[in-house]
Order: sequence, then C-alpha cells, then structure tokens
Amino acid sequence: MSADLPELDPVIHAQARLRVVSALSTLREADRIAFPRLQDILRMTAGNLSVHLRKLEDAGYVEVTKTHQGRTPTTLVRLTGRGRVAFEDYTAALHALLNGTANLQEEL
Amino acid sequence: MDARDDELPPADPAESLRLIARERATTARRLTPDPRLLLWPWGLAWLIGFGVFFLRFGPDERVYVDMPDYLPLTVLLGLITLAGITTGFVGARASRQVSGPSSRQGAMYGFTWSVAFIGMAVLFSRISDLLPVPDANLLWAGAMVALTGALHMAGGALWNDRVLYVLGLSISVVNVVGVIIGPGWHALIVAVFGGGGMLVAGLISWLRMPR
Repeated sequence: MSADLPELDPVIHAQARLRVVSALSTLREADRIAFPRLQDILRMTAGNLSVHLRKLEDAGYVEVTKTHQGRTPTTLVRLTGRGRVAFEDYTAALHALLNGTANLQEEL
Repeated sequence: MDARDDELPPADPAESLRLIARERATTARRLTPDPRLLLWPWGLAWLIGFGVFFLRFGPDERVYVDMPDYLPLTVLLGLITLAGITTGFVGARASRQVSGPSSRQGAMYGFTWSVAFIGMAVLFSRISDLLPVPDANLLWAGAMVALTGALHMAGGALWNDRVLYVLGLSISVVNVVGVIIGPGWHALIVAVFGGGGMLVAGLISWLRMPR
C-alpha cells in the first residue's frame, strides 16, 4: 500500500505556512491585511510569523509591503497570484490524494 | 506549538483539508464586521425615534403623549446620528485591518449614504415649510425610509448579501404601504417593521456567520 504520493508543495506543506496561506486566501485578490491583525488571527508570535512569511515571500507566494497609515508605520501582507495558484493546486492535490485513498480502500 | 512543530506537515490529507477549512472560517469570521453592530443601532434608532414620532404625531393629528413638537425629530435625528457614528467607527476599524479594493468599496458605500441624505435634507428643508405639519413630517420620514431601503438594496447587490437585500426590499415595501395609509400610521409601521426588520436582519446575519 505504498502508492507514490503526488508531490505536495513543500513550501505550503508545513502546518504553520498552510495556516498562513489559508488565512490569506480568504482575502480578495488585491486586498492586504495588517501584520498585527494576521498575527492575532493565527495566534502566532510576531517572530514566528515573520519567519514563515519570509519563506513564503522567497517562494513568491506572498507580498509584504511596509507603508504608513497616517503616521504609524504598518506592514501589510497579501497573497500573490502565484501564491493563490499554489494554494489551489495544493488543495486539489489533497482532494486527489483523499479520493485515491478512498478508491484504494474500495478496491481492497 | 514551537518552531520545530511548525515545519511538520499535517498528519494526512484529510487533516490538511480540515485545517484549511478551519483557518478560512476563522479568518472570515474575524474580518467580517459584526452585523449586529452595523444594523442594531439603526434598528433601535428607528424603533425608538419613529415610535416617539407616532406618539406625538398620531393618525388624524392625534397626540398620544404630549411633548414639544420639535422633540420627536430631535430624538430621531439624534439617534440616527449616533447610529451613523457607530457604523462609521466599525467600518473604519475594518479598513485599518484590511486595505485595498474591499475597504475602498466600503468607504465609497458609506460616503454614498452621507451624500444621499445631505442632498435630500437640503432640498426638503427648502420646501417642507410650505406643507401642513403632518404632510411635511410624512415627506421627511417617507423619503428617508425610501432612501434607506434603496441603499440597503444597493449594499445587498454590492456584497451579494441576500439578507441585506431582502431587508432593503422589505423596508421599501413597508414604506410605500405606510405612505399610502397616511401620516401617523406611517411612523408606527416604520418603527415596528422597519426598525424591527433591522434588528431581525442583524440577528440573522450574525447567526449565519461562519463559526
């Protein structure tokens, strides 16, 4: 029963980053969420979230912008088009895996 | 969860899908402004404001509760202003969290309300003195409710929100019925069905939020 698993995107296939990408995927295409808000929703420490955002940024999946809202500096995060596609592919692969396993069990 | 666990993949595909669904629901819930905060202040303002209106300017110019004739409008406008400040505050908080097309859309929609009501108020304050008091009251109240109904319908169309759309439609229908029945009754009908409708719509939208 060691059927080869379809390749799952290693960037997203880690619990913390999957949570980040899932949360970001609910935003509309060009919307950006404030870093502290994202941190609050995900209940991650700022340092931890930064580390994962950096990895996602390196893969071109998220875009981190530093800007000002009035006088307060803000960091905004957005899922890029590429990130969105990667997330959809990842989800599709999961469904394929799940159906594959179900079919295998039916055959057994 | 420490950084080491973070790098671990979810146990299996089903677990991954559950995690995705959970995270998306949480995020949607946390980023959507509480519909009760958006609708209940207005519902209460209408219920109380138009209720006071009815008590002072009843059908056939009956006065159920004696009070100065400027008081009902003052109470109504005061409560509506409070409701406007509350929704403005909720909207501004939401736009500080997420910026981009969504928050621009919200800001434009909010601004539309102000512009529409100011336009109406400027026009009516010039002509309502020419009408007998009951008719002037009906003109103000009827137009205000018609505008609110139409703007809620537009909001429903904008966000593909059926509850908001049905609320706007109900308010519009209730308004027409009230206007046809006449001054006095209009205030009562709008207080109960319009104000009550907003309280109910706020509750339904809240119950329907992802949990």
